[in-house]
Amino acid sequence: MASDKELSDFLKSVEKRAFKRALYAVRDEDAALDIVQDTMIRLAEKYVDRPAAELPLLFQRILSNATMDWFRRRKVRQAVVRNFSDFEGPDGDDFDILETLQALGGSLASESAADSVSRAQILLAIEAEVAQLPGRQREAFLLRYWEELDVAETAEAMGCSEGSVKTHCSRAVHALAKALQTKGITL
Amino acid sequence: MNNLTISPPTAAPFSRQPAALDALQARFALRVAARLTERSQGLEADVGERLRFAREKALEQARASRAASASRPVGATAAGALLLGRTGSGWWMKLASVLPALALVAGLLLIQQSQTDEQVSAAAEIDAALLADDLPPIAYSDAGFAEFLKTPRE
Repeated sequence: MASDKELSDFLKSVEKRAFKRALYAVRDEDAALDIVQDTMIRLAEKYVDRPAAELPLLFQRILSNATMDWFRRRKVRQAVVRNFSDFEGPDGDDFDILETLQALGGSLASESAADSVSRAQILLAIEAEVAQLPGRQREAFLLRYWEELDVAETAEAMGCSEGSVKTHCSRAVHALAKALQTKGITL
Repeated sequence: MNNLTISPPTAAPFSRQPAALDALQARFALRVAARLTERSQGLEADVGERLRFAREKALEQARASRAASASRPVGATAAGALLLGRTGSGWWMKLASVLPALALVAGLLLIQQSQTDEQVSAAAEIDAALLADDLPPIAYSDAGFAEFLKTPRE
């Protein structure tokens, strides 16, 4: 059973990322804060008897469900379709993910965007690109690389197969790399 | 202010193998995630305050849940479990649920055996009576004798 301190420390460590995840999905700051609060309370109410090690995955699942509940309550059909559609096809251009990733990884370092654009603006641009990803891709990407869940845990949190997680992550990386390259942003 | 530029990845040329691409994707994704973390640290004060409030409410809820589960009467729980038949190990529970069915099958077999014995016994009695009679059994198939039996005796 997680102690008060363990629960508090866990919530403190995850709350900002959770807020951002919810914000990317619902695009409304107040709603995102409500979702995070609901998530925290649901976790504390129903899973307080679970060991501390289980809290991260439980929290992510509850957060995903709370976000879905928000969409259901609002009945914003368009938002749901926009955030959960996975049917975007290839663009058909000659974009090369490998070359782009290598370039973004540092080959353009000599012409760093930080020279001309402020760091805050770059971070904002990166965040905007992440927010623009399709919902499932963004969720998979954030759970996998931001929350640092493994593929199996991400699949469990998202309620899909591990293969789907890999596909979503790959597409998300592909889209981000392309978008950042277009903006001349290096990492 | 720190520079966003990160030292280039290994200079060795990447072959177009899935493993190399996966590694490159993962490294890129982790860099993006690091930027997101950096960005999330700069939340506005009121957002931070609301998150702190939410966290405290959750902790209060956790304490209430713990207190509720601790004060739950153990006897009532055990009695409820007993009524629902949820005590004991699973193997014994399965055995106990199978026993009535076994008893029913055994009872039906006994009844069938008893009825068969009765039928055999009745048939044996009829056979014995026929054989012990002075009149041979074949006489009953004789049409004249049958007519004789139907004729009222004076």
